[in-house]
Amino acid sequence: MSNEIWVFAEQQEGKVRRVAFELLSAAADFSKKTGSTVAGILLGSGLQEALKSLTSYADKIYLLDDPGLAAYTSDAYLIHMAPLIKEHQPSILLGGATSTGKDLFPRLAMHLQTGYAPDCTGLTIEENGKLIAKRPLYGGKVFAEMIYLEAKPQMATVRNNTFLVNQNLNKSAQVIPISSPIDPSSLKKKVIGLEKAAGAKLDITEAEIVVAAGRGIKAPENFKIMEELADVLNASVGTTRATVDEGWRDVKDQIGKSGKNISAKLYMAFGVSGAIHHILGIGTCKTVVAVDTDPNALIFNYADYGIVGDLFQIVPALTEELKKAMAEK
Amino acid sequence: MDIYVLVKQVPDPEANVKVKSDVELEIENKYFTNFFDEIAIEAGLKLREKFGGKVTVLTVDNKKVDALRRGIAMGADDAIQITDPALEGSDPFAIAKTLAAYLKDKPFDLILAGRQAMDDDAGIVGPGVAELLGIPHVNMIVGLEIDDPKKELKVVREVEGGKEILSCFLPALFTCQKGLNNPRIPQVMNVMKAMKAQMKKVDLAALGLSAVDVGGQAVKIKVQKYLPPPKRPPVKMIKEDFPENVKQLVKLLKEEAKVI
Ligand SMILES: Cc1cc2nc3c(=O)[nH]c(=O)nc-3n(C[C@H](O)[C@H](O)[C@H](O)COP(=O)(O)OP(=O)(O)OC[C@H]3O[C@@H](n4cnc5c(N)ncnc54)[C@H](O)[C@@H]3O)c2cc1C
Ligand SMILES: Nc1ncnc2c1ncn2[C@@H]1O[C@H](COP(=O)(O)O)[C@@H](O)[C@H]1O
Repeated sequence: MSNEIWVFAEQQEGKVRRVAFELLSAAADFSKKTGSTVAGILLGSGLQEALKSLTSYADKIYLLDDPGLAAYTSDAYLIHMAPLIKEHQPSILLGGATSTGKDLFPRLAMHLQTGYAPDCTGLTIEENGKLIAKRPLYGGKVFAEMIYLEAKPQMATVRNNTFLVNQNLNKSAQVIPISSPIDPSSLKKKVIGLEKAAGAKLDITEAEIVVAAGRGIKAPENFKIMEELADVLNASVGTTRATVDEGWRDVKDQIGKSGKNISAKLYMAFGVSGAIHHILGIGTCKTVVAVDTDPNALIFNYADYGIVGDLFQIVPALTEELKKAMAEK
Repeated sequence: MDIYVLVKQVPDPEANVKVKSDVELEIENKYFTNFFDEIAIEAGLKLREKFGGKVTVLTVDNKKVDALRRGIAMGADDAIQITDPALEGSDPFAIAKTLAAYLKDKPFDLILAGRQAMDDDAGIVGPGVAELLGIPHVNMIVGLEIDDPKKELKVVREVEGGKEILSCFLPALFTCQKGLNNPRIPQVMNVMKAMKAQMKKVDLAALGLSAVDVGGQAVKIKVQKYLPPPKRPPVKMIKEDFPENVKQLVKLLKEEAKVI
């Protein structure tokens, strides 16, 4: 077994996701304790920019730049990654708990017959290189610290915003090109299209700030005031199941047990009553703000700051006030 | 089409779950059929309505078969419970192994599962079963279009910033999530029928598995310690009148929470 910590440097359209930088930063911290080498593993097509953005974050980068890998599929990634992992035997393999990470890692772990902790909200390491993965269970009603038995690598996917990006790692990675051309016709599935969501906002799982409105917003067109608030904060707009079921918002923006878990630095909820199903999706947000007309709304039990008030009054005023505050910065 | 749906009975999201000791939880006795598994059942039933065939619901559980009953009440043709004392302590990998061992010589066209079970929240069983069976999988689908089960089908999965459309041939495994459909509410008559339905039971020996393959002995990762969720400090209500309250909030976010 090698003493390498690998981070799956997930990229989309040639841009490495922030969560990969977060994990490389965490890995750099771990390596101080364990003396490990930190390696990024970068797969895709047309990766010059991606590679450049990564080199200061890792000691090594395993690079597989191949037109056949232009779109992610678990089949193609697994065929390439599994032999590489078997050859180099890293002690740890981390990835983001993204739509791709959650698709690839469980299958890869089964293939490698090793331990995998999904959707973690914390990782620590012991000097002997043993990873401790912290993850929510039952939607976040309890947490578990998981430890790995003998099999390697110790695999985990980790939520966005769990670690901070350290821009001062100043490494200069050695690039190790991997070549393993595969016959594309051997793959059992292929990507035939991508429908981009309207607007350029980050997914609510990735955004550092999320502002949400629930049924209290009363009509789909009223989300305009939420979009305006989000624009000032560079935030994304989330929502509750109630508005999704009404057909007001897309399910991709639903926060909660049957939607998405978010780990934002700041979450602000307007006209959200705070049903447990919703609350389970925001358990790992750092600061929570709630605005509701009902002083007894459950959401206040889970908030750091609360205002009893009408969102139609508060949201536009807050947008203006934040504009001023941001201009002062 | 021959369709298998993997289902699990899990604590309702409203059930209390507490840490009892480092290695033990206390779970309120309030269970329901995993939300995402109902979506998978619905997807299976819709395909059967279109192409004919059979929908079989399948669970690995020594005690709880209500997810199977739910499947039957919704309209599944057959229900199978894999049960064996040696399964106690199985993790999702072991569950996947067990399910794959059952499915490997069945004439399936399609296997459907939920995105994740609302207890372990793992999302491992679906992709794990697909890996062991050597069939393609697509995770967390929100769209499925099959014109002809013998031809290439289209499936949509949600990715950050959009929806990705994939094509593949059957047999395949998909994990289902909200957005794919709205599960039907079973009719009372069917619920009654399901209460009386006989589940077929299968044990490990019938699958060629033994205690070393599953249960506590097979785990590659285990819980060292359960922890309660981190506590939030009590809420600070901002009592000033409008618009002072808004100014105060911005100030707190800037100076106290330091998040903007
Ligand atoms: C199995 C299951 C899974 C579920 N999963 C999810 C999930 O993932 N996510 C989720 O969100 N829900 C989920 N739910 C639904 C959940 O139980 C609640 O029904 C839902 O979260 C309520 O949404 P809401 O807060 O928008 O609406 P409501 O509960 O109707 O609350 C609206 C709030 O707006 C306030 N309000 C009204 N007017 C104003 C105004 N002018 N200004 C300010 N406030 C105002 C009201 O006082 C109220 O508090 C799930 C339910 C089940 C059974
Ligand atoms: N014990 C089980 N029996 C049958 N299917 C299961 C079982 N556990 C999980 N599944 C299926 O696998 C999905 C994901 O479960 P998990 O990997 O535990 O999050 C669930 O939504 C079910 O479809």
